[in-house]
Amino acid sequence: MTIQEQIENTADTDETGISRRGFLGLLGAGVAATAAVVSANSDASVGHHKSDKKLAFQQNEAQYEEALNNPPKIPNYNWNEHKWSYGVDVSRCIGCLRCMEACKAENSVQEDANHHRTWVERYVYLEGSAEAVIDTPADPKNVENVGSEVHFRFDNRYKDEKVDKAFFVPKLCNQCEEPSCVQVCPTGATFKAPDGVVLIDTNYCFGCQYCVQACPYGVRSLNEERGTAEKCNWCYHRITKGLNPACVEVCPTGSRVFGDLNDKNSPISLFIKNNQVTVLKSEMGNKPNLYYAGADKEVS
Amino acid sequence: MPKHIVRLLSVIAVLAIIALSARWYFKDSSFYQYGHYRGNAPAEIASKLPKHQGSASCQSCHKAVYAEWSAGIHRKATKDNAVPGIVVKSGPNCEVCHTAAGNHPSKEPMPLSVEDRMTTITHSHDHVHASNVPGRKLLLTPDEMRGMCMACHEKMQGRPSTQPQVVIDAHAGEELCVTCHNPHSPKINFDKVPRMVAMKKAEVGNAATGKTVSANCATCHGTTGVSASGAIPNLAGQKQVYLSNALRAYKSNARSNGIMSAMASALSDSDIENVSAYYAKNSCKAPSADKGKAAAGKAKYAASGCASCHSSGGLRNPGLAGVSASQAWPNLAGQNAEYLVSALKAFQEGNVKANQDGARYHAIMTNVAKTLSASDIENLAAYLASSNCR
Repeated sequence: MTIQEQIENTADTDETGISRRGFLGLLGAGVAATAAVVSANSDASVGHHKSDKKLAFQQNEAQYEEALNNPPKIPNYNWNEHKWSYGVDVSRCIGCLRCMEACKAENSVQEDANHHRTWVERYVYLEGSAEAVIDTPADPKNVENVGSEVHFRFDNRYKDEKVDKAFFVPKLCNQCEEPSCVQVCPTGATFKAPDGVVLIDTNYCFGCQYCVQACPYGVRSLNEERGTAEKCNWCYHRITKGLNPACVEVCPTGSRVFGDLNDKNSPISLFIKNNQVTVLKSEMGNKPNLYYAGADKEVS
Repeated sequence: MPKHIVRLLSVIAVLAIIALSARWYFKDSSFYQYGHYRGNAPAEIASKLPKHQGSASCQSCHKAVYAEWSAGIHRKATKDNAVPGIVVKSGPNCEVCHTAAGNHPSKEPMPLSVEDRMTTITHSHDHVHASNVPGRKLLLTPDEMRGMCMACHEKMQGRPSTQPQVVIDAHAGEELCVTCHNPHSPKINFDKVPRMVAMKKAEVGNAATGKTVSANCATCHGTTGVSASGAIPNLAGQKQVYLSNALRAYKSNARSNGIMSAMASALSDSDIENVSAYYAKNSCKAPSADKGKAAAGKAKYAASGCASCHSSGGLRNPGLAGVSASQAWPNLAGQNAEYLVSALKAFQEGNVKANQDGARYHAIMTNVAKTLSASDIENLAAYLASSNCR
């Protein structure tokens, strides 16, 4: 018997006769049982994926009825008639970043390199490398290259390198069906609207940033000027007026696609129908509404 | 019930009442209407006004340019059907380069929410130009102008091969994109881009034939293009394309001057090319000038951004002052000071609606000239006149 085994043996049994390992096992079972009860309870309160009615996240039956019968007074818009969704065709993106600048102008996002509601990542596989090198427009080298924090450009750092594969990936809020950010918000300042968009009520947000940490996609940030959370809402003020989000409007290559899933001929319905689409980090269980076509394995 | 229990219960009751009334007072009446949030919030968020108005909103006033754009490759859905069955618009629309229209035109000139961009260059309207707005940059430098195009067209790893891309230095050297490409419809069509027409024809200009044509010009401009009087511009060593553009402008009265319009109308298209070629190849001669004025002019030349266009290196590299980077823009070095003064004053007077004698409107030059005082003009002219012209 080695010294190591001796130590383990003494540690495993104490004077009460219950081994430490056994006690930990009991404790684990207790935690699991509690968790089961809690999750059963929360299922009952959320319940939307078990019901025929499509309740929005954290919405009860009465609230669902209210949303149906007495929707918010938005001119010429009924949120029960739409189910917005968004598509990104990675193979078309040229990394021009017009979307970033348009978004910041449209939504008055804080004007520095690190605050944005949408951005584009550059993935580069250098020759012989199995892993991509990733940079974003907020990378200090890119900021230095453009010489301004209000304009965005990728520098041409791989101009003279040998590259196996490279591509640009636009990122923005996934408007999840089960948004982690909404779940953690302590004030009800962020919520899932029945038309599919996760919105922020800046009157009720006090900038605690739980949501910033909860989001698996890193799309949230704190607007330090307003002291509230900041994230893409698919330009809710535009889509409720029948317009496209600003980034879709300005995308010169059509790599951003937006539309209503309730309309079978909308760009997004056709996009999903005609492409093999994926979502990011499906293992997180957030059920994103942002679909990617042509996204590489490294993209997450 | 014991007294202390009653006390305790009443304290609890009071606290409960305070808590409930605080909840009643602070909770928005629409909270929990649709869920755990304020029911009024969605309508508030939706009530924000859009800043990007879409190209259709530009069309009503900017008909000609809109037509140009919509017929061109920047509108064409070049990559549509790359994925079968998906119809998405493709190609940059107005606001991609010009930035969001915002309240334009009802409340503002083209208002640039992030920063002034293209208007000073591209809009030959009498808008309140960005030059008149405090804190706004007067002009885009050549690098910035090219940067607009390079945002999408710079050759870069990761851009799909279907995207047209160039290595700018090899593709154009110091030349600006707009010298050859019309940004609204960038595919070069030699019949539609005036500068390209000029450049193409310039190649066939024959200096020897031009010399015979120049006999008519010699009275004022001298036999080799060094003019007889300070008020008359020297032509020797001037850019060929600039000369032929100017002659065509006189001929069509786009630029008006009693004598020159009459002279130019007598010239055929080939005469114009030939005489331009003749003067362009002659050597120029820099007159001497007041050294004090020239020194002051040199400082002003640097401060006003003249070098963006009228320097052989542009702003990017040191180059010869007053020797233009583009074939289509005039050399100023060695030009007569008196003529330069009158030209700058004419630009100052320039108004897009009245382009008669003594006043010249040019989208860029008029804006620059308006920032200059009378003594600035004298100094600049003295500096440029005394600069080495080759």
